[in-house]
Amino acid sequence: MASQQSDDDTCFESPVNINRRFFSSSLSTSPKSMTAKRNHESSYDTVSPLLRQLKSTSLSVQENGENERSVHLRRRPSVLDEKALREADTQSVREQRISAITRSYEGILGSIGEDPSRQGLLKTPKRAAEALVFFTKGYEQTIRDVVSDAIFDEECENMVVVKEIDIYSLCEHHMVPFFGKVSVGYLPNKRVLGLSKIARIVEVFSRRLQVQERLTRQIAEAIAEAIEPRGVAVIVECLHMCMIMRGAEKVNSRTTTSAMLGVFREDPKTREEFLTLGRIKPF
Amino acid sequence: MTLQSNDDIFIDFPTTRDYLFFSPSLSKSVTTRKCYQELSHDATNSMIHLIKPAPVPINENGDNGRNAYANRQNSVLDENALRKDDTTFIRDQRIQTISQNYEVILESIGEDPSRQGLLKTPKRAAEALVFFTKGYEQSIRDVVSDAIFDEECENMVVVKGIDIYSLCEHHMVPFFGKVSVGYLPNKRVLGLSKVARIVEVFSRRLQVQERLTRQIAEAIAEAIQPRGVAVVIECIHMCMVMRGAEKVNSRTTTSAMLGVFREDPKSREEFLSLGRIAPFY
Repeated sequence: MASQQSDDDTCFESPVNINRRFFSSSLSTSPKSMTAKRNHESSYDTVSPLLRQLKSTSLSVQENGENERSVHLRRRPSVLDEKALREADTQSVREQRISAITRSYEGILGSIGEDPSRQGLLKTPKRAAEALVFFTKGYEQTIRDVVSDAIFDEECENMVVVKEIDIYSLCEHHMVPFFGKVSVGYLPNKRVLGLSKIARIVEVFSRRLQVQERLTRQIAEAIAEAIEPRGVAVIVECLHMCMIMRGAEKVNSRTTTSAMLGVFREDPKTREEFLTLGRIKPF
Repeated sequence: MTLQSNDDIFIDFPTTRDYLFFSPSLSKSVTTRKCYQELSHDATNSMIHLIKPAPVPINENGDNGRNAYANRQNSVLDENALRKDDTTFIRDQRIQTISQNYEVILESIGEDPSRQGLLKTPKRAAEALVFFTKGYEQSIRDVVSDAIFDEECENMVVVKGIDIYSLCEHHMVPFFGKVSVGYLPNKRVLGLSKVARIVEVFSRRLQVQERLTRQIAEAIAEAIQPRGVAVVIECIHMCMVMRGAEKVNSRTTTSAMLGVFREDPKSREEFLSLGRIAPFY
């Protein structure tokens, strides 16, 4: 049932992503992150397999291209430091966006045959534009800002599961909502993440134009990068309005995707424990 | 439970007055209206007075004291479908325009419209939106057509748990839920799937839940003129769940009670228990 994440999916990155400076040295000026990187260097011999699955932060900043691993690493950008598409929005830029979307919605209302001047539709373009900007507010934050410094050192060795987080996202193919629940679990490696930060990470990734598979993977990778646990597992179960309201019109079907990293991928018992603890009840 | 009052006829939107609701070109409608007139003249059918007055004939010209009232209460069955005259060419034009608008929207929210996942999204979103508003393409009279049968049925007919998916006209975000429709026939019954089709035609539009409820009730009342019609709708509004108040578990219930269901509490109670909408989602 668990979808096996392969390293091959790094090859599917769209051309735009490669241009992003994902090891942006400007973002790693905070003392904590620099220190954290140096700590990794010192423990290079015992670096966790999880890191090898994703990337090794310490290598690429220092070395310059000769390492045979850096070609592999460059394919997978850092999720934590990914640039937020709307991060630089000032108030006036935001208002420009909303008025552009408002004008588009006016055109849409006319084209579907409605009368945009009737009482119920007078302010609809503006309301719909603001609603859409709200539904895509995940573009306004980077994960590093969301996580900030809610990373704590704890001697916790057992699984931490945050289950049944409600999510509401937009299908990127039809721009129609899909919604459901997410369960996240991880096995900490001396560091735990603030619980509400998990929910915030989920929120930032879901309030975008998304594909459920990518959403699952991004949540898992963000948590893996933030605290480098022994393993991360994410299950997402959603109802897709694009499938219920149109197209196939299958009213009762749900889509479940999962991402298993680290110990959860290798050890079936750990995976089974997560699936039991984090089971999403029918909703 | 909201009780429909006669006052709501005064809240009609100005544009609906422009619809030709007594269109002389439809010969079938003229005939059937004459039949209804004669049949209901002697029978005490109080339903008619709640929906529309005794039909004002087309040949009278303005001096009738009832004209003002009649003009406000438009026939739901013969309401003009906004997109009725769409040819394939016009439909393609609509989709083209909406696609262009969606491209602008994609740019404006900050996304990159040329990435692989978004390449055909404007077109898909436009077609999805046209599908979500396909209720504008049919008039109710076409939907009902001739599925009206004479039956000696005196007991309540309830069609419950009809799924509906509509678009909120204020935010253009979906709302969805279930409808239960009940009526007490007066010698005439409606084909059961036509009840569901009437619900579908009204819900696949930009709607307000209160208006949707009223329109379904009035359409059935006009089509078969029963002793009473009752409609209950329970919906989850994404505009309230996904944004704004963000109340995840709340549902909105509206109802329309016409005829016997408005006057007799026992009939209303029977309908509410037969047509009860079980919790969903």
